[in-house]
Amino acid sequence: MKSSPLFFLSLFAALAFSLTALVLATNAQYGALAPYLDETAGAAFPQAPQGLAARGHMVYQDLGCAACHTQQVRRAGFASDKERGWGDRQSVARDYVHDDRVLLGDLRIGPDLTNFGARAAATGLDATGLLVLLHNGQGAMPGYPFLFVKQLVTGQRSPKALAIPGSPDCELAPTPRAEALAAYLLSLNAGHDYPETKPPAKPAAPEAGKK
Amino acid sequence: MTDVPPTAAQPEASDIDASARGPLLLLIGSAILWLVAAGVLALVASIQLHTPAFLANCAFLTYARMQAAQETAFIYGWAINAGLAVSLWLLARLGGRPLRATGLAAVGAIFWNLALTVGVAGILAGDLTGFAFFQLPAYVQPILLVAYAAVAVAGVLAWIGRRHAFTFATQWYAVAPLFVFPWVFSVAQVTLLFAPVHGTLQAVVAAWFGQNFGALVLAPFALAAAYYLLPKISGRPVHHYDYAAHGFWALLVIGGWAGGRQLIGGPVPVWVATAGIIASVLLLFHYLVVAVNLAGVLGARGSTALRFAAIGLLAYVSGGAINAVTAIRAVAKFSQFTFFSVAQTQLLLDGAFTFMIFGAIYFLTPRLAGRPWPSAALMRIHFTTVLSGLVLKVGGLFVAGWIQGSDLNHAAVGFPAIAGHVRVWLLAATAGQALMLLGSLALALNYTRLVAVCIEPPVAEFFRAPAAVEVTGS
Repeated sequence: MKSSPLFFLSLFAALAFSLTALVLATNAQYGALAPYLDETAGAAFPQAPQGLAARGHMVYQDLGCAACHTQQVRRAGFASDKERGWGDRQSVARDYVHDDRVLLGDLRIGPDLTNFGARAAATGLDATGLLVLLHNGQGAMPGYPFLFVKQLVTGQRSPKALAIPGSPDCELAPTPRAEALAAYLLSLNAGHDYPETKPPAKPAAPEAGKK
Repeated sequence: MTDVPPTAAQPEASDIDASARGPLLLLIGSAILWLVAAGVLALVASIQLHTPAFLANCAFLTYARMQAAQETAFIYGWAINAGLAVSLWLLARLGGRPLRATGLAAVGAIFWNLALTVGVAGILAGDLTGFAFFQLPAYVQPILLVAYAAVAVAGVLAWIGRRHAFTFATQWYAVAPLFVFPWVFSVAQVTLLFAPVHGTLQAVVAAWFGQNFGALVLAPFALAAAYYLLPKISGRPVHHYDYAAHGFWALLVIGGWAGGRQLIGGPVPVWVATAGIIASVLLLFHYLVVAVNLAGVLGARGSTALRFAAIGLLAYVSGGAINAVTAIRAVAKFSQFTFFSVAQTQLLLDGAFTFMIFGAIYFLTPRLAGRPWPSAALMRIHFTTVLSGLVLKVGGLFVAGWIQGSDLNHAAVGFPAIAGHVRVWLLAATAGQALMLLGSLALALNYTRLVAVCIEPPVAEFFRAPAAVEVTGS
């Protein structure tokens, strides 16, 4: 390696090699992926998050929820994502087309949240219940008391505020950030089927049957 | 390796070192400060893993922000500052000429560290991007790019202006990151922050960037040091040196592809993960070449610099092997999304990179400063504490990760039970982190004392007798 231009040219080519494949080719492959128009339902899926839930995604990002929670379900038969009830089907790229910042997560200190909203609805966890959970924490998740404001009850109780056991004069009012985060989490539902979510289910079926 | 005998026509090694003193001591000093800061942040984050309520009452002290801040302080603060210093010094030494553009390098170093300080504060305030290895807020990223380039110019000039056309493995590894980092960093800035790609492409680009950062920026900095220190200190040749070039190009060509292994089973094209798996396995060739070339370092005794480099080399090669094994889908099923993959990263950051660079710092700082290290005891304390800390931290995380991965694969085991099973191993990791912080403080103290005296004019006879530096400093 005596020639500097040749050396730098080779470095350039080496980097361009992986860049072309992993950045440019993937972008060409599915960079323009659009929501799927389901004609029987008369709507396009996934549906874009609205208002409060959309802002909640930003709270999810700035609090770094993705440091401990993933939002990606692996296919049935590969690990136990399905058995844990995190999703009936594997997550696909189309599930994320509306996310400005895709936070898949790479550590599972807590459960996967891809279908958290659907699970919450099934178990009867409503916004108030979720706010209590966010305030108190659970297991390895600390509470987030800074998402709430402690205030004196004047006149009627605020409908959204949480009661504090033992002190009837005070209540915990969720901040707009807390409400947005709760709305976002409760909106998480990637249950809709797309054409591409059906074929991959087949190879996994015999394995699921073996159990 | 190439030290030219001092003659009238050629500058002495001491002149080359003197030319680089200011900016390099600044870079190393900043690096050590960031290492201590990252150690404190990492300790808090580590405690929060087994004691979630610890310091959890303020938004800026929550686990996720601590974790992002410690990672950023470590890789952008410690690793880049130290890596650049080592790279510039090696390129000047082996180029056989005094370093040029040192003023620009110093300005770049100052701006790098100022922007980074703002960036880490931004992370704590909630402006983290959410991408691993790329957490810095968008408003400091362009400044960092320019600042890095300003420092790198000195290294590229040293490469171009070298005295001999022939180059050594050390020089290839030292100059590559100067070029690779601005390239991948600017691509990531555009495609993730300023004109973001859509959907899960972001995850693919982020994995590509993180992989390049680790394998093609940090690893080459460290390998440059290892390829220099081994023959220089031990006097032994590099075994099968002919293969070194193959090892280098294998890393450069294949290295960037391996990031896809983190996306196994994820909502991205399957070929991205498959390419990552294949690349991780093919990279074994690179690790084999490095192991064969530098195995001689393992038997070395008596030199702190070499002992550090030897541990770093072991961590590097074993880390590469573990990455290849866990890239296989059947194994990834257990290791993915667990502390096991955290341990893999830390083995390469805290182990491989940091130890090889410690070796280089112990070797080059006395030469830059013109004085030996003030305290051999602090050096021994540093070595003992960081080595035991590394074993405890990475070992603890590996075991915790394996338990966690096995538990996660049994749907009946709930999260409270998993937390209970891994707790003791996470405590071990915290103890390890505390020890490593202690070691960093020993290094910081030793370095401060060394630099404090070197503000006076350097001792001339010291340069004339490099052997003396060798004995006391390495």
